[in-house]
Amino acid sequence: MELEFKVNDKAYSLEVDPESRLLDVLREELGLTGAKEGCGEGECGACTVIMDDLAVNSCLVLASQARGKEILTVEGLAANGELDRMQQAFIDNGAIQCGFCTPGMLMSAKALLLREPNPTEEEIRTALAGNLCRCTGYVNIVNAVKDAASAEETEGSV
Amino acid sequence: MTEDKRMYGHADDLAQPNELKYVGHNVPLHDAVAKATGKIQYTGDMEFPGMLYVKILFSPLAHARIKKIDASAALALPGVVAVFTHANTPETLYNSQVWFAGQEARADERLFCDTVRFVGDRVAAVVATDKKTAAKAVSLIKVEYEVLPALFDPEEALTENAIEIHPGGSPFFEKEFGCGITSETFNKAELIVEDRVETPKIHHAAMETHVCIAIPDYSGKITIYTPCQILYSVRLVVAKVLRLPYNKVRILKTPMGGSFGGKQEVTIEPLAAFFAQATGKPVKIEYNRQESIISTRTRTRTIGYVRTAVDKNGKILAREVKAIVDTGAYTSNGSVVSMAMGKKIFRLYRIENQVFRVQAVHTNTPVAGAARGYGSPQIHAITEINLDHVANRLGLDPVEFRLRNLVHPYDQDLSGGPSLGNARIIDCVEEGAKLFRWQERRAQANGNGSGRFRRGVGMACATHSNGYFGAFQDFTTMTLRMLEDGSMILNSGIHELGCGTVTTMKQIIAEVIDINPDRIEAPEGDTETSPYDVGSQSSRVTHICGAGALKTAHKVKEIFQREAAKILGCEPEDVVMHAEIVWAKSKPEEKMTYGEMARAIQRKNRMEIIATETYQAADNPGSYGANFVEVEVDTLTGLVRVIDLLAVHDVGKAINPGFVKGQIYGGVQMGIGLALSEDLRIDPKNGKVKGDSFARYHLINAPDMPLVNVLLIEKGGDLGPFGAKSIGEIATCPTAPAVVNAVNQALGTNLTTLPLTPERILAALRE
Repeated sequence: MELEFKVNDKAYSLEVDPESRLLDVLREELGLTGAKEGCGEGECGACTVIMDDLAVNSCLVLASQARGKEILTVEGLAANGELDRMQQAFIDNGAIQCGFCTPGMLMSAKALLLREPNPTEEEIRTALAGNLCRCTGYVNIVNAVKDAASAEETEGSV
Repeated sequence: MTEDKRMYGHADDLAQPNELKYVGHNVPLHDAVAKATGKIQYTGDMEFPGMLYVKILFSPLAHARIKKIDASAALALPGVVAVFTHANTPETLYNSQVWFAGQEARADERLFCDTVRFVGDRVAAVVATDKKTAAKAVSLIKVEYEVLPALFDPEEALTENAIEIHPGGSPFFEKEFGCGITSETFNKAELIVEDRVETPKIHHAAMETHVCIAIPDYSGKITIYTPCQILYSVRLVVAKVLRLPYNKVRILKTPMGGSFGGKQEVTIEPLAAFFAQATGKPVKIEYNRQESIISTRTRTRTIGYVRTAVDKNGKILAREVKAIVDTGAYTSNGSVVSMAMGKKIFRLYRIENQVFRVQAVHTNTPVAGAARGYGSPQIHAITEINLDHVANRLGLDPVEFRLRNLVHPYDQDLSGGPSLGNARIIDCVEEGAKLFRWQERRAQANGNGSGRFRRGVGMACATHSNGYFGAFQDFTTMTLRMLEDGSMILNSGIHELGCGTVTTMKQIIAEVIDINPDRIEAPEGDTETSPYDVGSQSSRVTHICGAGALKTAHKVKEIFQREAAKILGCEPEDVVMHAEIVWAKSKPEEKMTYGEMARAIQRKNRMEIIATETYQAADNPGSYGANFVEVEVDTLTGLVRVIDLLAVHDVGKAINPGFVKGQIYGGVQMGIGLALSEDLRIDPKNGKVKGDSFARYHLINAPDMPLVNVLLIEKGGDLGPFGAKSIGEIATCPTAPAVVNAVNQALGTNLTTLPLTPERILAALRE
């Protein structure tokens, strides 16, 4: 099956197995190993990427469903070498421990701010409900998202 | 005040805590940027040329003898390199938790056995050129079984006619120890309160599943890349199974995607190593979530019977604790965790007459093993839920009741264990109760008991260890050197689990040498090149390895000053080291960078700035914690919402307060899960794990997670670096009983079987 899509602003045309999942294409065909497989059934969110501005579990998306779409992965967040605000906020707030959930968390949080630049704490927690983390108790992750949102707002008002 | 002297006696740096430049500060995790950008390579992200992939066939039966395995169809599939079963793999028996050479442990596990003992036991493995082929081939293997009777209930294992899962049957380990005379004291008691408390098997739920890679080389050496907790434990087991000398097995610690004890024991590494040896190719084993849940390790299911005798003033006169420890189908750490549980009950309250009895049993269920707290969360659930029951029966406030009985600083362990050290649990409880507004909130919650939603407030205490001193050998060796540009390398057997170990070591060294922590590299362990370390276990890393880093840094500083003195023409004690600049006290105008001095020392003194030091553990104080929590129970659905929680911890000194809090937040998340939702749910009919996926195994997620406040008690006083004590394991120990106690207050119940699922809560409400 031919798959034409954009990943991190770059156009690709690939020949892929129609059974393969978006997660497999990203990790195995494109070498983008930031998205992780934690459960393979859309429960843990470690494989979260952004597809046309929405957070999706890439383990549940078939490659064919990604046709013509724009995908953003964690590798695309700091594409020009400068960390995204959300990445910096995660680092500054101690939101990263083992780091395995981090790429998925970042993408869910990023997708939230794309649709709601000024989320409430409840909206943040709801947006992260499908991203499991065993290290942090989510405390500093929620703090980081708040931090990134307020930084974004400040910048927007300048 | 003698106590205050002792408090600051060990670390003179602590006398002026405000002057610490790096210790006590929130230096970011050393690999935070690599993790935030997705660049860090976990083991699952690694590929090697010619690498083969493995799919394992797991037993669908709880207990059966394998009569025949027909792998011909699997072997005929193009891309299949080999199929391994009990027929063509070593018969060597091993124990997965052995961490030092010479350790006695019942060895009853094999790579593959001709008998399967739980649903999830290994039957066969396909090694193939790609994952899909391996998976397809596994489905083509035909196995004929002779079904054997199975048992799933640990108490049934102790009955007379119970089946034998291993020769000799259960209990395979029994022990009794204690202090004082309990039976006579019970006769004199005002009140005796008994409980049966049960804790479930839970999944560690590291987001990274179990994974490792083994690579053979031309010399017969096997190199293993693994996110492990104890490099030298992996080496021991692999060398035994492969019959290789230790120096032909090289273990490299890879980035850890979460462990919590789940990757502490040696589960898949010997398989990968043998397959690599047999095929001559790199081999990767990567479990999916279901496989990690059912076929690696779980927290040990524990049933506790506790009897507590008190006088009318609320003084605990005596206590008996009997524990039944269900290690599952293979022995693993069954005896060690049994002892670890028992030791804790002598280190939290002043109980002069106390006995602990434990029996460890096998069942046809998934294998238990190390799990954050190593028995502490279980034993504290057992005893702390009972203590609230006692307080209720006495009509005493649970905080007041505990304050009358808690240990004091420098108390002795009446069962003969090491001194408790500067045990500050009373500070934790007193200050926590104040900050939480315990009395007010407890009274308020209790009053609100009639509507659909009922509030409850509860608390619990706990203690945990700081290494192995007093039980097993504990020491660490480290090499620290300064390079010709003034940067440094620490070479040691440390393991970063995401808790901040690497950064913590850097902070300690930076404080001594007065160098920016970013200028220090502290790679994780490699058994071929690192000095020996006991491993990331037993809450020993900050207390013992940290003390090792401190000692080694002081030695390097001494060598640097001695050698620099020759260059500067002064006495060693007159060499000033400040912010990577060095000079002689008498000649402040002649300054050199550390790098310039290191080069001068090489050129003129022909010396390297390097030291290797061994730190021998010499204490094992208690770390202490108390949790205060408010819950709301929905009496219609049986759901419990934890509203907020205060965690107070006696950590001696927080080397990095941000990391310490991070451990506490995560420990609380795990503890709430143990209290309310996490359970493998083993089917009593067939031994199948019902909670074998995240869809059927509920972890506390972001909306479930309450507000968590943290209060740290930092009073030093023991031998850890700058007075530091452990936090990673103790962090989760008080949480589950605190939550259960709050629910019991809300409902006026005495629920004692964890987790408090909606079904159990509704059943209790119906009674």
